Amino acid sequence: MTVSSKLSTDGKQLVIAIDERFDFSSHQEFRDAYSGVTNLDLTYILDLRKTEYMDSSALGMILLLKDHVQLYAGQLIISKPSDTVRKILEIAQFQRLMTIE
Amino acid sequence: MINIRYGLYLSCALALLVVVNYLFIHQEILFLILFSVLSGLLITLASQIHKVSLTITDTAKGDTMSAVDDELIHSVIFELQQFIHQEVNIVEKELQRTKVLVADAVTGISDSFKHLQSLSEEQQQMIQLLISHSGNMEDGEGASLHSFVIDSNKTLDDFVGVIINTSKQSLETMSYTDDMVAQFDSIFKLLSQVEGLASQTNLLALNAAIEAARAGEAGRGFAVVANEVRSLSVGSTELNEDIRAEINQAKEIIAKLRNSVETMASADMTSTLEAKEKMTVMMSHVEQVNNQTTSSVEELAIIAPKITDAVSLGIRSLQFEDLTRQSLESLQMNVSSLHEISDVLATFDKNPNMAVHQQLIKLKTTCQSVYHETKKAESSRSVKQLNMDEGEVDLF
Repeated sequence: MTVSSKLSTDGKQLVIAIDERFDFSSHQEFRDAYSGVTNLDLTYILDLRKTEYMDSSALGMILLLKDHVQLYAGQLIISKPSDTVRKILEIAQFQRLMTIE
Repeated sequence: MINIRYGLYLSCALALLVVVNYLFIHQEILFLILFSVLSGLLITLASQIHKVSLTITDTAKGDTMSAVDDELIHSVIFELQQFIHQEVNIVEKELQRTKVLVADAVTGISDSFKHLQSLSEEQQQMIQLLISHSGNMEDGEGASLHSFVIDSNKTLDDFVGVIINTSKQSLETMSYTDDMVAQFDSIFKLLSQVEGLASQTNLLALNAAIEAARAGEAGRGFAVVANEVRSLSVGSTELNEDIRAEINQAKEIIAKLRNSVETMASADMTSTLEAKEKMTVMMSHVEQVNNQTTSSVEELAIIAPKITDAVSLGIRSLQFEDLTRQSLESLQMNVSSLHEISDVLATFDKNPNMAVHQQLIKLKTTCQSVYHETKKAESSRSVKQLNMDEGEVDLF
């Protein structure tokens, strides 16, 4: 499992954690992690603290997640990316679309 | 001289008294007194005579010396005149030379200052041109390095945007494909249901054939129908197999599609990241260079008028030439006074008829008149000649 997701007990937060590599091979798991969640006004936290490598498909996946989040009026936060990953996110100008902390 | 004469008379009288005493009185005490007085007087006279003789020789000598002095004075004055004449000539020559040198130097310096000023003006114009040019470059159509880097950066951002969008679209395609594969699975389920139906039909046809055989001749027609139904069920099963095979082929094609979509979606961002970093460094570098250029140009613009000011100050300072010339001219006047004195000295031994005394007096009066003239000239000059600062007149 390179992707794990967990809904918080109060049902207000969905934490999706990614392993070292975030690329095309994990797209199915990643999609499965949120596609079934249809709660309104939910905070999605994408935990990237373990992720070291990320390619453009990962960015595409995050954008798809963003579309899903917007569809259900939620909020997307990218949590604790490494320096390399943060740089990639900044090149893609994701800081304008979502919160990176 | 008179004292000596009286002393001699007195000593003669005393000697006479000694003789009278010796011949007639025979008084020893009187003899002693007279003798001692006489001898004392003679000693005093002797010393007086010595002194007088000395003064007499002196006077005699003095008479010959004064004759020598006239010649000496002449020769000394001649030497003096020669000396003064030579020195004054040298001083005059040097003064003339200095005047020429200073005038030449001042002309040269003044010219070079003017040249410097014109060069500085030229430089200023060039700087202004440069400033306006660099301004134009920025306003121009992407001609400057700065705008080029900004454009490149924007292009890179757009490129990244395109890559990400492609990935996103590919992933969407991928999810649709996955949905399609799921649809295929349900088709398979339906197919197996159809297969079940076919095998049941087959079984049913078999049963019907058995029943028809048991009925004998009466069931012959029914046996043909049962056989047909059975062959239909077999055909249906074959068709099912064909459909399954076709769908499996479609699945294989979808797997290939998945691979190509994966290649399309997964672009490595490392090179882009590097390019972006280089671009950022380049941006800051260009910014730095731009700032440096701007500040340098501004500094140059400040320096240029300073050069002009300094040059003007230098040109103004060249007034010293005027003052120096005045000084040199007055010095020349002083030298000509010395010449006058020298001329008077030159007439000294040409007039052997005139007494030395008179000549000296003439020399003295000439000296005095020259001295007064020089003094007058000096006082008028000290009023006229002010220092450089006070004479701050812009000559240009």
